[in-house]
Amino acid sequence: MSGTVTAALVDVLQIQNLFASAVGVVFGLFIGSTPGLTISLGMVLLLPITFKLSAVTSICLLLALYASGMTGGSISAILLNIPGTPSASATAIDGYEMAKKGRAGEALGIAVASSFFGGIFGLACLASISPFIAKVALKFGAPELFALVLLGITLICSFGQESVIKGLIAGLLGLIIMTVGLDPMMGTPRFTFGIVDLQAGISFLPAMIGLFAIPQILVGIAGDVPVIPEYNSKITGVLPKIRDLTKLIKAMLVGSSVGTGIGAIPGAGGPIAVFLSYDYARRVSKNSSKFGNGEPEGVAAPESANNAVAGGALIPMLTLGIPGDPITAILLAALMIQGLVPGPLLFQQTPQFVYSVFWAFLVANIMNLCLTFSTIKLWVRILKVPERILLPIITSLCVVGTYALRLSFFDTGVMFCFGLLGYFMKKHGFPIVPMLLAIILGPSLEEHLRISLIISQGDPTIFITHPISLIFVIISIFSFTSPLITPAMKTRLRNILRIGAST
Amino acid sequence: MIILAPTIFRNPIMKKADIIISIVFIIFSCFYAFLTKNLPVRNLPNTLGSDFMPWLLVICLFFLSALLLFKSLFMVTPEKPDYKISVKEVSGIILLTILVFLYVKAMIMFGFLLLTPIFVAVLMFISGSRKWKEVVIVAVIVTFGIYFFFCNVFRVPLPGGNIF
Repeated sequence: MSGTVTAALVDVLQIQNLFASAVGVVFGLFIGSTPGLTISLGMVLLLPITFKLSAVTSICLLLALYASGMTGGSISAILLNIPGTPSASATAIDGYEMAKKGRAGEALGIAVASSFFGGIFGLACLASISPFIAKVALKFGAPELFALVLLGITLICSFGQESVIKGLIAGLLGLIIMTVGLDPMMGTPRFTFGIVDLQAGISFLPAMIGLFAIPQILVGIAGDVPVIPEYNSKITGVLPKIRDLTKLIKAMLVGSSVGTGIGAIPGAGGPIAVFLSYDYARRVSKNSSKFGNGEPEGVAAPESANNAVAGGALIPMLTLGIPGDPITAILLAALMIQGLVPGPLLFQQTPQFVYSVFWAFLVANIMNLCLTFSTIKLWVRILKVPERILLPIITSLCVVGTYALRLSFFDTGVMFCFGLLGYFMKKHGFPIVPMLLAIILGPSLEEHLRISLIISQGDPTIFITHPISLIFVIISIFSFTSPLITPAMKTRLRNILRIGAST
Repeated sequence: MIILAPTIFRNPIMKKADIIISIVFIIFSCFYAFLTKNLPVRNLPNTLGSDFMPWLLVICLFFLSALLLFKSLFMVTPEKPDYKISVKEVSGIILLTILVFLYVKAMIMFGFLLLTPIFVAVLMFISGSRKWKEVVIVAVIVTFGIYFFFCNVFRVPLPGGNIF
């Protein structure tokens, strides 16, 4: 085993992989610090490039983008009170207050150091927990795997959505889209309408690029994006003192624990983690009354949480093949491009690659720390790049990137159609992520469902007679029924209490 | 409390969109069911046909669309106020669609290097850029930057065009 671990380290330390990590960090900082651009968008823009890279180089590039994108989001949150990414929202509360008091450098320094702490904490949890989960998951058969994929999709459909029905419809649309093409088991063409390009099915890459990038371009062109103010004050004292950081250890530990835990739950994601960690840190802090008025712990907790989310989200993605958030869904797609199928078999068949992921994540966090500290003043200037320049670049990259996948403009058309669909879905309150996840996991869901039913000779009780599968099915049902039932139950309970009080 | 009374008249814009969407989905699920019914089926012993999954999905979609319609018509929920699409947005969507369509169609004839600077310049103009020097510089840098990276670094050939 130690040989595999060392070989993985040597692989990650190859010059091309270190270069990929550096590029990923720089690109991630750019994406993260630019309000309006998301880490998911950055990832999908880089996906076509990963076609030409090795699996380890691709993962170095994308993990570095993930880690630094989370950190980059705090720059605009602290300086402009505009979070670069949704996960930096809680950082803005105290970070911006510190900046207003002339402590912008200190706030930025704390944010970067806390991000590093959170990233390493998340990695430690990932490396220690995931092999055990993978070992348990190896015992899963088709019914358990079907129930697990179903659980992943339903959790994403229902968790934190405005409307569970809309979330489920979005997921169903994704599954319907994946039925286009040759049937994975019988080879029968389905819904291809005689179009040869559709026989191989709809590739999830153009769909992904379209769903994430085009709506953002359309919103930008429509001109509804607020004008970003400029930050002109001087930034000094970015490098934090060890003595100051030790005072923040408690907040960082709270943030990292909450971030990793929440990140590991499919569908929960960074924004929930940062606000929860901010709240917990406030409760356990001696300076709780200063929260909201420029308290450094209010920056340290959410910043360590949003980077710890990355490590947490990688746990279900690597061990079970179930992504925790849209970013890990894109990472999952990137691995599938490389012919790797995340899940328990990944640990058994390609253990060296799994260790490479751990090492790549460590390198990404170290590079993120070093590059961010050394170039932070540059990113403050980058905030001034106007949208009128960014949007045409993103559009061109989307068109060329989708063409480059199969040297076909058919994929560009698919990308654009998905873009329009994504735009209208967003406008009408339909979440995009369930559709994306259903597109990625749809074939696996169908395969395991049909295999299970063949094993049981068409008897659907196979999913409730297997204990693990039963647990997953129960959680799935609970996940999408609870948001429907809970408000009604709360109202009824309130009425009962009111009647009880009046009598 | 759940109020069982049509709310379309009380909050017409907000509910109207959901009602229309749910009806569209119901129609779509009927169309998808029709297509599923006509799928070629291979009957092999102890197997489920290609139409198994589509039937399962169509039933779920129909049920959920009907539920959304019911909810939009009869339930008062604290949802976000309407999502109106402005004229500017519609024109932006149409313009971008036409632009991308023309770009892709003309690419085969004119090639990437000739067409992309024009594409980027037009996009910049639409996005509000009025400084022609900035437009020219960005358009040229973006085109050659993408061309260099895709052709030389990633070895992906970009369309050369028929007229060259």
